Amino acid sequence: MTFSVYYLRRTGLLILFGILTTLALSAQQHTISGTILDEGTKVSVIGATIKLKGQQGGTVTDSKGDFSLKVSTLPVTLLVTAIGYKYQEIDVYESVPATFYLTEEINRLNEVVVTALGISKEKKSLGYTMQELKNKDLQNSNETNVLNSLTGKLAGVRITNSQGDMGSSRIVIRGETSIAGNNQPLFVVDGVPVDNSQLNSGGATRDFKNAIADLSPEDIESLSVLKGPNAAALYGSRAAHGVILITTKSGKGQKGLGVSIHSGVSFSQVTTLPDYQNTFGQGSNGKFSYVDGKGGGINDGVDESWGPKMDGRLIPQFFSNGVAVPFVAHPNNVKDFFQTGLTFDNGISIAGSDSKYDFRLGVNDQKQKGTVPNSEINKTNFTINSNYQLTKNIKVGITGNYIVTDAPALPGGPSGNRAAGVMLQFLWFGRQVDVNELKNNRNINWNNSYYSNPYWNANYNTTSQQRNRFIGDVHLEAKILDGLNFRFRSGTDYYNDRRKYTIKYGTNGTPYGSYAEDAYTVDEKNTEAILQYTKKLNADFSFDGLAGFNVRTRTYANNYQKAPRLAVPDLYTLTNSRDALTSSNYYSSLLVYSGFASTQLAYKNYAYLNITGRNDWSSTLPRNNRSYFYPSVSGSLVLSEALKIKSNILDFLKLRGGWSEVGNDADPYQLATVYNFQTAFDGNPIQTSSQRKLNQDLKPETTRSTEFGLEASLWHNRIHLDVAGYNTISLDQILEIKTTAASGYTSQLINAGRINNHGIEVQLDVTPVQSRNFKWNVGLNYSSNKSKVEILDYAGQIKNYTIGSSGGVDVLASVGQAYGTLFGTVYLRDNNGNIVVGANGLPKADPKNQVLGHYTPDWLGGITNTFTYKQLDLSFLIDANVGGKIFSGTNRTGNYTGVLAQTLPGRDAANGGLNYYYPGNNTSATKVLLTGSTAPGGEVVYDDGMIFKGVQANGSANWQVISAQEYYKASYNISEAYIYSSTFVKLREIKLAYNFSRKLIKKIGLEGLSVSATGRNLFFIYKAVPNIDPETAFSTGNAQGLESLALPTTRNYSFNINLKF
Amino acid sequence: MIKNIFYVILVASVLSACNDKLDDVNKNPNATETPSAAYLLTGTLKQGADLYWGSESNFNSSLLFVQQWAKIQYAEPDRYDISNTGFTTLWNTGYSTLITDMNTILNFTDQQANPNYKGIALTLRSWTFLLLTDAYGDIPYKEAGTKVTPAYNTQKEVYTGLLDDLKQAQTLLNTANGAVTGDLVYKGNIATWKKLVNSLRLRIALRISDREPELAKQAVIEATGDAAGLISSNSEIFKFVYTSSPQQNPASAWFETRDDYRISKTLVDKLAGLSDPRLPVYAQLPSNAAIGKYAGAANGLSNSDANSQGFANTSKPGTYFLTSQSPAVIFSYSEVLFGLSEAVARGYITGDAEQLYKNAITASINQFGITDAGVIDGYLNQPAVKFDATNYAKSIGEQKWIAFYGQGLDAFAEWRRLDYPVLVAGPATVLDGQIPTRFFYPGTEQSLNGNSYLAAIKNQGKDLLTTRLWFDIK
Repeated sequence: MTFSVYYLRRTGLLILFGILTTLALSAQQHTISGTILDEGTKVSVIGATIKLKGQQGGTVTDSKGDFSLKVSTLPVTLLVTAIGYKYQEIDVYESVPATFYLTEEINRLNEVVVTALGISKEKKSLGYTMQELKNKDLQNSNETNVLNSLTGKLAGVRITNSQGDMGSSRIVIRGETSIAGNNQPLFVVDGVPVDNSQLNSGGATRDFKNAIADLSPEDIESLSVLKGPNAAALYGSRAAHGVILITTKSGKGQKGLGVSIHSGVSFSQVTTLPDYQNTFGQGSNGKFSYVDGKGGGINDGVDESWGPKMDGRLIPQFFSNGVAVPFVAHPNNVKDFFQTGLTFDNGISIAGSDSKYDFRLGVNDQKQKGTVPNSEINKTNFTINSNYQLTKNIKVGITGNYIVTDAPALPGGPSGNRAAGVMLQFLWFGRQVDVNELKNNRNINWNNSYYSNPYWNANYNTTSQQRNRFIGDVHLEAKILDGLNFRFRSGTDYYNDRRKYTIKYGTNGTPYGSYAEDAYTVDEKNTEAILQYTKKLNADFSFDGLAGFNVRTRTYANNYQKAPRLAVPDLYTLTNSRDALTSSNYYSSLLVYSGFASTQLAYKNYAYLNITGRNDWSSTLPRNNRSYFYPSVSGSLVLSEALKIKSNILDFLKLRGGWSEVGNDADPYQLATVYNFQTAFDGNPIQTSSQRKLNQDLKPETTRSTEFGLEASLWHNRIHLDVAGYNTISLDQILEIKTTAASGYTSQLINAGRINNHGIEVQLDVTPVQSRNFKWNVGLNYSSNKSKVEILDYAGQIKNYTIGSSGGVDVLASVGQAYGTLFGTVYLRDNNGNIVVGANGLPKADPKNQVLGHYTPDWLGGITNTFTYKQLDLSFLIDANVGGKIFSGTNRTGNYTGVLAQTLPGRDAANGGLNYYYPGNNTSATKVLLTGSTAPGGEVVYDDGMIFKGVQANGSANWQVISAQEYYKASYNISEAYIYSSTFVKLREIKLAYNFSRKLIKKIGLEGLSVSATGRNLFFIYKAVPNIDPETAFSTGNAQGLESLALPTTRNYSFNINLKF
Repeated sequence: MIKNIFYVILVASVLSACNDKLDDVNKNPNATETPSAAYLLTGTLKQGADLYWGSESNFNSSLLFVQQWAKIQYAEPDRYDISNTGFTTLWNTGYSTLITDMNTILNFTDQQANPNYKGIALTLRSWTFLLLTDAYGDIPYKEAGTKVTPAYNTQKEVYTGLLDDLKQAQTLLNTANGAVTGDLVYKGNIATWKKLVNSLRLRIALRISDREPELAKQAVIEATGDAAGLISSNSEIFKFVYTSSPQQNPASAWFETRDDYRISKTLVDKLAGLSDPRLPVYAQLPSNAAIGKYAGAANGLSNSDANSQGFANTSKPGTYFLTSQSPAVIFSYSEVLFGLSEAVARGYITGDAEQLYKNAITASINQFGITDAGVIDGYLNQPAVKFDATNYAKSIGEQKWIAFYGQGLDAFAEWRRLDYPVLVAGPATVLDGQIPTRFFYPGTEQSLNGNSYLAAIKNQGKDLLTTRLWFDIK
């Protein structure tokens, strides 16, 4: 089920399932019995009061939601009330046990939500937007990275999915507010801030998962998004990019002992593989013959597909030992390399509670076999969440999440890595290659000048990862006086992450193999004490306030060691090395003290004023600048109450607004410029400049944000609308600006930069149809964010900040432009905009680089349709990302190598190629275009001629014929040619779930049983860029909009069963 | 009152203790803020040698342009098809590593570094600036290392500035000025450093000789007249000798994992034509024994044509250059002799140009381990080798080209200046038949130092590979 179902539950409309229609015959004493469940969550409603209409008598549901009642006549009408649910009348006609569902009472006046620091507040009192997802919106997707399951469900939240099926996901809320720094929100799990880094070092990198992917969606009870500074101001220096509060499941509300079992399996297939051509095979200029795969035969060292037609002609090939065998296409050779990915996700949890305690113990195991052969990740989550009422006034508790990840082999090395990259070899490829021949013998390959066999790479040149993580806390809550409470919490997020990189002896390009170990330890600790005071001042005013402090430490350690050449094969140890090891280590720690306070003043129950303040003292800033204060003020006015304008049409209307200032400190050790040691030379130590000029006068970054919003419910909550507008200015940004090396340093750290983000977010929830058994709900979200880099340095000298680069394209923060400008080479054009072509018939590049677009989208939207028919739920989510540009390395390379179908036009007469010849058959001479099919001197005639559309230097139309091979290679170094719109519309998710009626399953001793089938990332309804998925993340960093031979994304089908007894 | 003061003191001391604690936490445990002159010197020599002898500015660019090496795989740079990031290493390492490290020494107090360290630092900094201006033309020089967006100086300003810098280096260097450690090349021998300084002055003087003959003449006279003398034997060659992995010769390290370079057919044919005794040192026999003779690979071919020459059928560079201990030669004795010969031929100083020319060739042949006087005499007496007094540029240009084997940047500069040997661009090259006459600036200059860059382009001409630099008159 999806996000809109959550709203469905909130719409406060009465829906009744399973009404009995049979007439009872007996007129004597009848026992009517049944179970009352929550319509949305299907859990028991405990303590619901049942009365008889027009008669005496009644009862209350027990801990399982069951009731039983004696009546004298049938039919009767039951009047059911329960706190938090809509009052309901149920007609009962017979004395057969039945299940009744109650709809949660969405009284927008009483709705309580969890806000910053875990403080519960009435939602109507908040001066900012707040969006929540519940467990059912996240579970059963079997997503291996929890962030992916949020895609399209939250307004203003941009999630970029993993490449392949084992990579990182990037999440950004309300646009990039930091030019250079991290733009990911802060994640807080059960009150404990947790790490979401993507750790990488030592040069050997791949797209590792970001750390929040460690959490299992099955353990998550709810997830609240604090979108930006206004909502998150109490988190002070970490609030600028928003906060995601995650509450894990607990045993609260579980009477007696309950056991839940979850079991799921999912299958994944690669999608968006490049569209390959299947007409021409490996080689160059139409010629190919294999001898040694490294230039010994005819073009057999060439890893491109400009060879002969694959028409069955006989040519020696890599597997044929010199025998000429048919040269034929293998259209699925790349697809066949990938396998169906398989993920098993199984979990069991036990929960219970009574008046003194509650607890939940859970274990969840996920085994994933990836789509790349040999890739595998195993992850086990152990969770505990328990509270104990020590005395009447003191409650203590713990939460613990222990996560063990063991990935024996992760797919793909760094993109472009010859020893481990996957798509590299499939874009520099021979289209005739039969991968089964490669699979059968890993010691041979179709090309030996550049690569080893892809199965060799996948099986021997592996990256493994072992990660052990503990997230947990101890907490205490004490009631000191009436209205005065004390809360204490000490939490930690600690993990070790060890990676091992092996390259096998004999790998092409790494003949001795290599072995590297990369180890990280990250430890974040937060200890927090809060005093909370609530008082009703008089009949109209009430006060709610808190004050507290927090001590935060974070330590990070990395150690990387590499044996660059192994001494003997197949022994992967650091001592098995021909050379001195290359090694590095890095240690950092930071300490932040914080004090904070917040107050809320309420007038009657419709006007609220909220003020917060926080002061941080950070170790990373110089003495004079390390103390900094962040205030926020916001207000809310429930107009429908204040003006008493409630009507049949308007249920609820609220206006809200606020202003806040938050900020950010620096990373550790950014004050003093240092010199690094390098490996000593023959006993002589080496020191050298770090090339980074640091700054002793750093100030904290500041982000100021203003937000206004409106929330309205209409027609008995059948329409619910929430609109938010915001404007954020981030200034004094800590920028490590790239500088020309001629300045003495390749980068300098400055406090400068101003970036503006403003945008609008709309959430609309509509229930167009609802009847007894059927309900249709539409949840829609839209967000648009516009950014503008206003200033980089205050002197105005620096116009660009380089965020990242790939394939000659830079991603910049460029003054006056939107964040994430793509900058690179363009075609040389004349004054009329025609491409200038050289005398050789090839286009020329403009020596001056140009802006090619920006990667940030214009708007994002998602629409979820949910259909509920009796116990069957069907939902589907379509999301769209409109605008933004991407530079595609896949298209660039695939055009160059002639493997893509888009390189077919012009390659022979059948594909529209022009005839030409070389005068005197001198292939070094200039080609001459032919209108007929015979050359004047009887020369050989070629039919793969093409003419690049453009003008010659003198302005006349270009007529110089070139070969198709030259044509498609001509733009390789012209970035403009491979810039595409990243607009797409995707069928993101279809989910079908069935909840068995309790009547049925009770007989086999179950409390709950549901089955579901989910399909994710099913297909593109529209996309502008060919051959790739435009939404793959390059990494979790800010350098997006660059695609570099990314692993294909996957389509997943998952099947889940959930049992409760 | 007393109580209040007590509280103020208490709060103040708590805050101060907190501040001290926070300061302690932010002490960088990973690196030092105070380097040592000796360690910086070692680093500069090593990193300078890596830069000069390494891939990007040497065998993946300049060595291809002068057709000493050729590519048999990934042949784009051999066709001059180079992206705007293709010449970034020389720029970045030159400025932000070598020049910055040497400036650090130059800014040291006398306690931190004696004048000899500073003299060496100024010499190595000048050498780095020389590499930069030879390759790019106008470069930031006077404001380099002092401003975020330093202005470029004209090439003339750079060369003349360097001549002054080297003059100053000469005065800083004095055997009485204290010992130098960390000097992996001359082992702290200040007298030899002084010779290198004069040799560099001679190199720069000849660079500007076509453009500023008077200035060049004066600089040659000063350099050759200095009491410290010039590099005067092969034992005084300025070269960095590598050891073993990971401190091995960069070309050797490259060939351990890659196999994409061959010796150029242009050079092999030239050497074979002259029966040059250096050929077996410069090249290996092809691994396919059936070939049986040295076979260079052609420059400027398409990837497939380059590849089709066959890995096994073409000659790799000689093992002299590809062992881990192979030296990176930066300033040879033979270059000094060629320089003196040319200075005589130009009439700057007196002497026997032909004899100096013969001595230069002899020094080069000796440098590569061939000492058989008969072989050398036979070589020198060939008509094609004999000094041509009417066209000294041709004789010196061709022989200097051979002697500079492996020193791509200097071979490239001298080929542009002397215009010999006559080289022809390969068939698939992309510059309309031209061979590059400079490196273009790193693409990032446009975005990071745009105004200075535009001013430089305005002065020097378009930022193209084929734009002629100031010193290169034709």
